[in-house]
Amino acid sequence: MITARNLKKIYAMGRVEVHALNGVSFDIGTGEFVGIMGSSGSGKSTLLHMLSLLDDPTEGEITIGGEDVLTFSDSKKTRFRLQKFGFIFQDYALVPELSALENVILPALARGVPLPDASAAGRDYLDRVDLAGRKDHLPAELSGGEQQRVAIARALVNNPDILFADEPCANLDSTNSRAVLDLFGQINKELNQTVIMVSHEDWHREYFDRVIRLRDGKIEKEEILKGNR
Amino acid sequence: MFENLRVSVFLAARALQRGGRGRVLLNIIVIAFVFTNMIFLPSVISGAVESYNVQTIDFMTSDIVIGPRVDERYIEDADTLLGRINRIPGVIRASARFSMPVSVDFEENAVSIEVKAFDPRDEVEVTRIHEFIEEGSFLGSGDRNEILLGVLVTGHEDKSKDFYDSLGGAAVGDVVTVRYANGVAREYRIKGIVRTKSYIADYMAFVTADEMESVLGGTGPNTRASEILVKATDDADLSALKRMILSFGVGEEVKTWEDATSDIVAESVESFNIINNITVIGSLIIAIVVIFILITIKTFTNRKQIGILKAIGIKKSVIINSYVMQVFFICTFGVILGLVILEAMVLYFTAYPIEFPDGTVTPLVDAGMLVENTVMLYLSSAVAGFIPAWRITNEKILDAMRGA
Ligand SMILES: Nc1ncnc2c1ncn2[C@@H]1O[C@H](COP(=O)(O)OP(=O)(O)OP(=O)(O)O)[C@@H](O)[C@H]1O
Ligand SMILES: [Mg+2]
Repeated sequence: MITARNLKKIYAMGRVEVHALNGVSFDIGTGEFVGIMGSSGSGKSTLLHMLSLLDDPTEGEITIGGEDVLTFSDSKKTRFRLQKFGFIFQDYALVPELSALENVILPALARGVPLPDASAAGRDYLDRVDLAGRKDHLPAELSGGEQQRVAIARALVNNPDILFADEPCANLDSTNSRAVLDLFGQINKELNQTVIMVSHEDWHREYFDRVIRLRDGKIEKEEILKGNR
Repeated sequence: MFENLRVSVFLAARALQRGGRGRVLLNIIVIAFVFTNMIFLPSVISGAVESYNVQTIDFMTSDIVIGPRVDERYIEDADTLLGRINRIPGVIRASARFSMPVSVDFEENAVSIEVKAFDPRDEVEVTRIHEFIEEGSFLGSGDRNEILLGVLVTGHEDKSKDFYDSLGGAAVGDVVTVRYANGVAREYRIKGIVRTKSYIADYMAFVTADEMESVLGGTGPNTRASEILVKATDDADLSALKRMILSFGVGEEVKTWEDATSDIVAESVESFNIINNITVIGSLIIAIVVIFILITIKTFTNRKQIGILKAIGIKKSVIINSYVMQVFFICTFGVILGLVILEAMVLYFTAYPIEFPDGTVTPLVDAGMLVENTVMLYLSSAVAGFIPAWRITNEKILDAMRGA
């Protein structure tokens, strides 16, 4: 599904170069639930951004579903993200001017789904994250955990091939974190969606099929956690 | 295409609804005043031009004015020509006028003006001077020894109130002495005083053609004329009528009222148009600056949101269009509110016309200008909204998402 070869990302900070990624290679198969772990500053977010086409690597190759995605134009990348990816960010990243339901259906509308169908799907997903009663709330009127669940519903509404999540539980208590991770596990198994999630909480390992552990922009080790399958 | 538009509309509608309604309202009001400003001054000027044109037709030229051949002082055989013109379909009536410079004396005052002689029966059909008699009455057909004077000729007793040299407040019934250019001097009783508010018409004197005939000793208006005024029916096509008169083999100068005034008015209209353009450009600049600031602030405070939208796969053009649509919304309601304000002002100034020295002026809103300025307002606002939206959406996604 995803192959990464010799990925490098170098930030030029004045005269100093920061090697955020320093030659990372791996393959991820369809339906895998992969955790990217490592200490702060090890390059986890940077790697996720490269894989999810939010930023370009300085060097290296990425193919997704056999396509050389780094050669895509900006607008083709945008379309690819809309069609194939779901995003969950650490700080929820909801549109403040849209209600919970409107946030969820936005990617569906952008794909051209008719409004009644999009609304029905949006309500379904809100129901799945237990927020059916909050659909008309604005993000400012929701708790952090509720906002994150709206973001998850938004990420799922287009039935993406790959779900990217950057520390989705960082602002949640352990109960909410478990709810989110359970949901990820559930959709990963039921819908065979690939999930790539950044985390630095060791206890999250129990949800992952595999962990890619980074250190100073390199893969320190890969752990296959078959028991979770 | 359609789904893109739909998403833009969706985002724009929610932004307007939930992204600071006070600011939106304020901007609508600003655009309304910009719009009013763009339209109002030009329509006052159009109104002034219109009132000048109406005065020209009503008092000076009627619809079509025929003058002597080039290099000649008079139209010869005027009565024959008059007869032929009167038979043209679409002509209500033609009136021959004979002009001569005179000096009018009253008590110790003397003014040099032009006296026009006409047959009152014809004249009332082609001009409206007879409707603007302030005191006394209009000339009758056989009147002799009587004269009609413009109000600027009779003037005020207190001469500091006069615009031109005057007779110091001569009134109806007073007797004035008129010295014609051919040396003849006559005494006339003032029969009426004309007040049309036209500077030119109000500084003239009028006598009957019969009187002029006797002054000239039989070589006057009955066969010769200085000009012939032609009144046409309301639905007549004046240039067609002009061609028709010319095709009769009339060698005289035939002009529609527009031809006749174009030299004088064209120049002032030209200057007015420059003022109008400056007003319009000034208004557009205000609109551009206001919209530009609005959208710059909006996109800047929405930087992060724009980053999010791009990250989840919303196209740049969809995001930019959502801002341009917000601008269109503001413009539309601004224009509607502007039209309401404008209509109120036009109604007010129609009820209480603006007093210009040259008559009263009511604003005349020209539909073409209205449409043209509205389109320009939309276009410049769209550009003013597009540029900041385009700038922010071209930021790198991650930079935008990190932003506030
Ligand atoms: N835009 C940038 N400009 C310069 N340096 C950057 C930039 N983004 C990240 N870095 C640097 O790259 C390195 C990796 O950053 P990254 O955000 O990937 O870390 P991380 O593993 O996600 O850390 P954390 O767990 O704290 O989120 C860090 O040293 C960081 O300072
Ligand atoms: Mg990070």
